[in-house]
Amino acid sequence: MNKTTRREFIKKSGLTLLSVGLGQQAFLRQVRAASESVLTQAAALSPVDRILIVIQMDGGNDGLNTVIPLTGSAASLYRQYRPTLAIPEENVLPIGTDAAGTLLGFHPSLSPLKDLYAQGHVAVIQSVGYPNPNRSHFASQDIWHTADPQGMKRTGWLGDYLDIAFSSADNPLLAVSLAGGRLPLTLRAEQVLVPAISNVANYQFRTQPPGDHENKMQAFLALNREAAPEHVLREQIRLIALDTYESVQMLQSGIRRYTSDPAITYNQQNPLARALQQVAQILAADLGTRILYVSIGGFDTHQSQATPHATLLSRLSEAVAIFYADLVRLGLDDRVLMMTWSEFGRKVFENGNQGTDHGTVGPQFLIGTRVKGGIVGEHPSLRAEDLNPGLGDPKFSARAIDFRSTYATILEQWFLVDSREILGGAFELLDVIRA
Amino acid sequence: MPLDEYDKIAHLLRRAGFTAHPDEVETATARGLQATVEDLLNFEKFPDVPPDPELLAALDLSQDDFNRMRGDFLTKLTRWWLHAMATTARPLQEKMVLFWHGLFATSITGLEFWQQIYLQNENFRGNFDPDTGRLLRPAPGNPFPVGNFRRMLEYLSKDPAMLYWLDNQFNVKKNSEVGSNENYARELHELFSMGVEDVVARVPNYTERDIRQASRALTGWRVLPRAVGFTFPRVFSFDAQRHDFGPYEHLGKRGGTNADFIFDNIVRHRNPGQKQSAVGRFLGYRLFTFFGYEDPEPEIINALADVFDGAHGEEPFNIRNMLRTIFTPGNIVSEAFYSERAFRARVKSPTEYVVSLMRLLTFDRTTGRPDGLSRSSTAMRLIQNAMIQMGQQLFAPPDVSGWREGLAWITTTSVLARFNFANDVLSLGVAQGGIDLARLIAQAGLQEAMQQNRYGEVVDILARWLWPAPPSTEAREALIAYLQAPIPNVSPSALVTTKIRGLIHLMLAAPDFQLC
Repeated sequence: MNKTTRREFIKKSGLTLLSVGLGQQAFLRQVRAASESVLTQAAALSPVDRILIVIQMDGGNDGLNTVIPLTGSAASLYRQYRPTLAIPEENVLPIGTDAAGTLLGFHPSLSPLKDLYAQGHVAVIQSVGYPNPNRSHFASQDIWHTADPQGMKRTGWLGDYLDIAFSSADNPLLAVSLAGGRLPLTLRAEQVLVPAISNVANYQFRTQPPGDHENKMQAFLALNREAAPEHVLREQIRLIALDTYESVQMLQSGIRRYTSDPAITYNQQNPLARALQQVAQILAADLGTRILYVSIGGFDTHQSQATPHATLLSRLSEAVAIFYADLVRLGLDDRVLMMTWSEFGRKVFENGNQGTDHGTVGPQFLIGTRVKGGIVGEHPSLRAEDLNPGLGDPKFSARAIDFRSTYATILEQWFLVDSREILGGAFELLDVIRA
Repeated sequence: MPLDEYDKIAHLLRRAGFTAHPDEVETATARGLQATVEDLLNFEKFPDVPPDPELLAALDLSQDDFNRMRGDFLTKLTRWWLHAMATTARPLQEKMVLFWHGLFATSITGLEFWQQIYLQNENFRGNFDPDTGRLLRPAPGNPFPVGNFRRMLEYLSKDPAMLYWLDNQFNVKKNSEVGSNENYARELHELFSMGVEDVVARVPNYTERDIRQASRALTGWRVLPRAVGFTFPRVFSFDAQRHDFGPYEHLGKRGGTNADFIFDNIVRHRNPGQKQSAVGRFLGYRLFTFFGYEDPEPEIINALADVFDGAHGEEPFNIRNMLRTIFTPGNIVSEAFYSERAFRARVKSPTEYVVSLMRLLTFDRTTGRPDGLSRSSTAMRLIQNAMIQMGQQLFAPPDVSGWREGLAWITTTSVLARFNFANDVLSLGVAQGGIDLARLIAQAGLQEAMQQNRYGEVVDILARWLWPAPPSTEAREALIAYLQAPIPNVSPSALVTTKIRGLIHLMLAAPDFQLC
């Protein structure tokens, strides 16, 4: 069903029943029935049921203190360059050796992630970055968001995917950002509108007083149902308003289908856990949402970083682990892939303030039941000749992995689409997804 | 169907300013369309909004002290500008400052010193001297906001905010081909003056080599502290040691010892066989898109470019002349401006949405002026958060190409944000900076009409106050039905206020209020 017909459907069959005086519950049932009949149909027609969760680690995660070398020259140089910040060897959680034979381990705060890793659900992609690294947060984030190292594109890589894969699609909740009120550039598209929701519970039309809500929403709908085809702009605005109304109804009625489980407790003090809990609610509602975006900030650790960085990694792994357990409970784990990213790693040398400055490559995690667990690629070499002169961060060398390889792998092997148009070229695929 | 006199004047007031309250339209009608246009254009004869002492004080703080109040500074700055837009006697000046902020998009995200963005805003008003770092009202020689565009390029380029934002402070002499940093030279051509292509002829305006050569002329530009003892560097400084004295080869000409050569070439640049300059067309396009409608016809762009070029003997590069052409009836451009196609055909930006809302809801019929924004921090938090959700945080455009205007403003997130902002601001108590609804009800004469169930009249009065055109029959009926629909557990005394508040909320959330 294309956009016009869905809107016609809502406009004519569903909502014309909303004559004055119809009770709110009956009204909600109408809308729900309307949207369900449309959406179930759309979902069944879809070639893939796969869902991607993007987890942004905002600020430039210190990759070197996330995945830590335990043997070889990298290990000794790591301890030499980081006199106060190196994680004591006995605290590191070993995960295995990389392609070059270096034994690696997780930061101790990643213990819950280590458990998932042990079960084979985590791929650790090493030394991810891009040539000619930009050390500005904003410039480098834009590059990751758009997959365009020139920084010229105004749409995101997943926004482009949405436009290409769902150009005639029909669902105002195809993708949802739960990373604050501003839509991340990754999801900015030319055609597909992606709601940026700071909190699912607040994604509502607020009205005062509550007793007048129903009256007001009916009037709002009536104002937006009035077609005036000769006034093109007004027409488009009212159609987007109807979309908004529909997405609110879908979301608010949908998330009630999520039932919590005493065994699955999301830590409400952990913002990422709260966001992923809302992701679980949306997924449980089965609204046809394909991409969800969450973010955890604070990784720009220029000073006294040991404690805050440990806290952040702890939040990340705790949230991911409980969310994964919830997906298993909901029977959705098979359909969900998680990807972390951060705009850059940090310098190899700690600075004079027990912190680290902006650097280059860093690790990326892919997490999910269908992930091929293990270490992909090699830990960055910390030898002087492999560092950018005068800067002290790893060169983007032959052993490094272009972040667009991760993107290409997700597009080709998870979403099963051609990645070249979206990424502006072909990138090497990584062996991280099980067929 | 041509617009009638009322609609013409209302349209002019909404576009050259922010709103057309019926009383404002009445005053302007008495003055006449022609005189109203001249009042708008020659805004200097009306008082400017005063500077905010707190903002001025922040300029002299030590950097440590300033950093402690950075977020607070941004709130105060945002409030000051929104309040200026909502209350000014010089609406066209504020509109043009908004225009330049969008065209010369600079963001605090690229500035170490956020104070600099305030000084840039004053620069866009003509109140800043980049050579001394001083604020003067007005600063002698400053061409902003409606003067000579050739000189604007100079004032824009020397502004420390821009020197930080696009890295030109790092641009030093390199070789006879290029300076060490071409970032600013590129945006100067691509975004700030002419665009990659001639907007009418669709031919490339310049080559990569023109950019590289221009970057040479912009070398040696630095930002230095104003004086010893000041941590806040806000002065343009020229360092001859770092400067490449040319000659340069730029846009088909060879010569020059500094950036004046580049600015002169840019504003006079014509592509082969083209009667109009590339910059005249670019600015004609941008200005008409901002004030009139999107994608104006080539004849309109060319007519405005002729004015920019001084084709009829007028002073060239003058922005005020271009604006006069848009607004003064009797030429092809203004004919388009006052046409049915332009009427209600601009999607309000979040700034225009918030400002028009605040202007209309705080309009005091006894003084004939809006009260504007309160200083309440509750209200300001609400406004700032809402504007972020609506997609426009002032002083933080998404990138150097500015905000995407038009229908791009309307998304599911922003529809909800506009709806909820209107609700929240109407629900806020007067003491917290909310709207004085009682005064509005009294001044609009709504109390009696409500009590006598003359609902249609209530809708008509408020539509005239808030909407650019009378409600359609269907909209009128829907709003009357809303007024009639009962609310459980509300006392009859509270009912009138509640329903009026609800009606205003609906009108502010309707498609009609998103357009101007």
